[in-house]
Amino acid sequence: MKFPMLRLARSVWSVKPRAAIGLASVLVLLLAWYLATDVAGLIDRHRFPSPSDIWTAAAQILTRGYAGGTLVPQALYSLRLVVLGFLVATATGIPLGILMGLSRRFEAFVNPAFLLVRPIPPLAWIPLAIVWLGLADSAKVLVIWFAAFVPAVINAHAGIRSVDQTLIAAGRVHGASRARIVWDVLIPGAMPMIFTGLRLSLQASWTTLVAAELIGAVLGLGKVLSTAYRDIYPAMIAVGMITIALLGALTTKLLDLVERRVVRWRQY
Amino acid sequence: MSDIVFEAISKVFPRGGSSFTALADVSLEIPDKQFLAIVGPSGCGKTTLLRMAAGLELPSSGGVRVGGRPVRGPGPDRAVVFQQFALFPWKTVRENIAFGLKCKGVPRARRDELTRHYLDLMGMSGTEESYPHQLSGGMQQRVAIARSYAIEPAVLLMDEPFGSLDAQTRTLMQEELIRISRVNPRTVLFITHSVEEAVYLADRVVVLGRSPGRVTDVVEIRPVREAEGWDRLASEEAMEMPGFGHLRARIWRQLRAEIQASSHGGAGVARMSEAISGGSYGGV
Amino acid sequence: MLSLAGAAAFFGLWQILAGSGLVSKFVLPSPSDVLVAALTMMVEPFAGDTIQGHVGASLVRWAMGFGLAAGIGVPLGLAMGYWRLLDAMVSPVFEAYRYIAPLAWVPFAALWFGTGIGGPVMVIFTGAFAPCVLNAYRGAHLVERHLIEAARTLGAGGLRVLAEVLLPGALPSVVSGLRVGAGLGWQSLIGAELIVVSSGIGYVLVLGQSNLAPEIVMAAMLAVGVTGLLIDVALRFAEARIRRRWGQTP
Repeated sequence: MKFPMLRLARSVWSVKPRAAIGLASVLVLLLAWYLATDVAGLIDRHRFPSPSDIWTAAAQILTRGYAGGTLVPQALYSLRLVVLGFLVATATGIPLGILMGLSRRFEAFVNPAFLLVRPIPPLAWIPLAIVWLGLADSAKVLVIWFAAFVPAVINAHAGIRSVDQTLIAAGRVHGASRARIVWDVLIPGAMPMIFTGLRLSLQASWTTLVAAELIGAVLGLGKVLSTAYRDIYPAMIAVGMITIALLGALTTKLLDLVERRVVRWRQY
Repeated sequence: MSDIVFEAISKVFPRGGSSFTALADVSLEIPDKQFLAIVGPSGCGKTTLLRMAAGLELPSSGGVRVGGRPVRGPGPDRAVVFQQFALFPWKTVRENIAFGLKCKGVPRARRDELTRHYLDLMGMSGTEESYPHQLSGGMQQRVAIARSYAIEPAVLLMDEPFGSLDAQTRTLMQEELIRISRVNPRTVLFITHSVEEAVYLADRVVVLGRSPGRVTDVVEIRPVREAEGWDRLASEEAMEMPGFGHLRARIWRQLRAEIQASSHGGAGVARMSEAISGGSYGGV
Repeated sequence: MLSLAGAAAFFGLWQILAGSGLVSKFVLPSPSDVLVAALTMMVEPFAGDTIQGHVGASLVRWAMGFGLAAGIGVPLGLAMGYWRLLDAMVSPVFEAYRYIAPLAWVPFAALWFGTGIGGPVMVIFTGAFAPCVLNAYRGAHLVERHLIEAARTLGAGGLRVLAEVLLPGALPSVVSGLRVGAGLGWQSLIGAELIVVSSGIGYVLVLGQSNLAPEIVMAAMLAVGVTGLLIDVALRFAEARIRRRWGQTP
């Protein structure tokens, strides 16, 4: 029984030593954590959960539910808000950024308003959003929209500006109209930076959602976190965090996939 | 005693799916305080050999010993002078030279003393507080040499140190190097493309053949140099001496044969230089 | 110029909208209301301190968290750039931590530190840590191999290589990372203060909200934005100076 494992380990080691070391260190950490909490009881489990605590909490929220629902509906609830805010921000931010990149006059006109609003951290909008819309979902979407909006605009703008002038000249030389240059040269050329902006937007969306839900929510992963905090249930806090992290990673990977389809010409 | 001994050195670089043999079964001995020059066509593995003596590269098989002890890694007993100077751009000339001394734990006062001494030796006094980018190529290389000399290494490893200098500066630096190394002799391994430079500077010249690199000729220079008294002449006069001419011709003939022999395997050139420079053409 | 026209249009529209009575004063205060609120709070204490006092309290927490993130993150990033083994060991753990939004740590921070200063500091740390490490890591990789080899042949041990070769060589990248980390740290702080604190500018935001006084909220938002901007400008300035001084690095 031991030998197949050993052979597998050795083959992983020879092909990708880096991955093997990484895996090993993660396993060591997990083992140390397990020993320190479940076995030796070195760490106070009222403050720091043990692996078995987390397992129990996960089972609980998956089957019986916690803070208003089981894990899947809670997660979907949060996911819905993030996706909504993100999409609206993208749909509004990218065109705005592109316009700002295309027309210096437009940029000069819009800039002051943008500069005033830009340094304000998205999270600082939460209290205002609550004043305007209460604790409803719309308040959260508003804040997520704002958080995701800024990076989208900035990167779309920078992306348009970053397109190599020679390419534009080449387009002109071929007799392309302004519109064609925009569609066929500038926008595709700006895509890599636009996607960088999208990645930042997605990150900001998740961060803002967590904050917004921690402050006031009826349902959702943030609600799970804040309820678990009030109940002094660290294992459930951990389950909430892990779920958020997993969803964050999932959505990021999805975005990467979209990018690969849209920006096929780039080497990875 | 700080001799260098290469014993049955082989070096194989994996390149993509296949492999490239830079050196095959090279054995070489450099006695204490001898100045040895290695010449050879591009990509013949001479830099690899030097890097092994420096401890920056490990042989695939065989071993290197310096002063009787096997080489396991880099260290101040084997100072290296790089072709690109490798001066720390954020340190002044003084701080660059003092670096090795600091690593050795030499106290501040003595460090300054030694720094000044070696700067004077290289004819660079007054440049202590300058930054490398403010100096010319020749001056920078002088600082690099001073930096290596300051730690008083048993062995000096020089990898085409004058390769990036213009021809005039190069000649002057050669004369300079002769002056210091006659005053302060130590075991030197000197890599160069230039046959003239090798004959002028070295006690002995080794010709390395193309891939897989192996020793194809060993030429004793010192007896001829001493007989004709080159050290008493300027470089251009020394190079006019008959003995010099014969040695140069002999080594060149050997090299030419090597280069022509391998032009049949011409496709190997690109792969070779790629391997030697650590894959900088195709990789990150 | 066009920018002035834009600014005028923006504020003008705002003022008109607020003054027209279409929107309740409790929802959209006019620009002048916000300004008055801001100036008032600079003189009269609100929720225990003047607005500058609150900003100061927040800045202290930010400095502690950021200092910790930089002090641990930069050496770690450099070390990971130098020792492949360390890189392989730490990377997976680091990547996992990166996906967790810094604010998700707030419940744990509150659980472990209560309302003490440790809580916000921890949250700031988690926000600022990643850029510090990543930029130091990338910077270390950019340092020319020959410089590291030269240092080793001169007898430098690992620590000396880190401090005297990698750090100066990676400095432009490191400073850039510090700037990003500082900004993220400030944002994380505000977030943390919205949830678990009894002083600081975030608290002012919350109180303004619970008192349904949007002009206070907006004034506080302005303070937050201005402070964040100042931090960024100061660091950009430092970055430019360092680039000039170390400009000899190509």
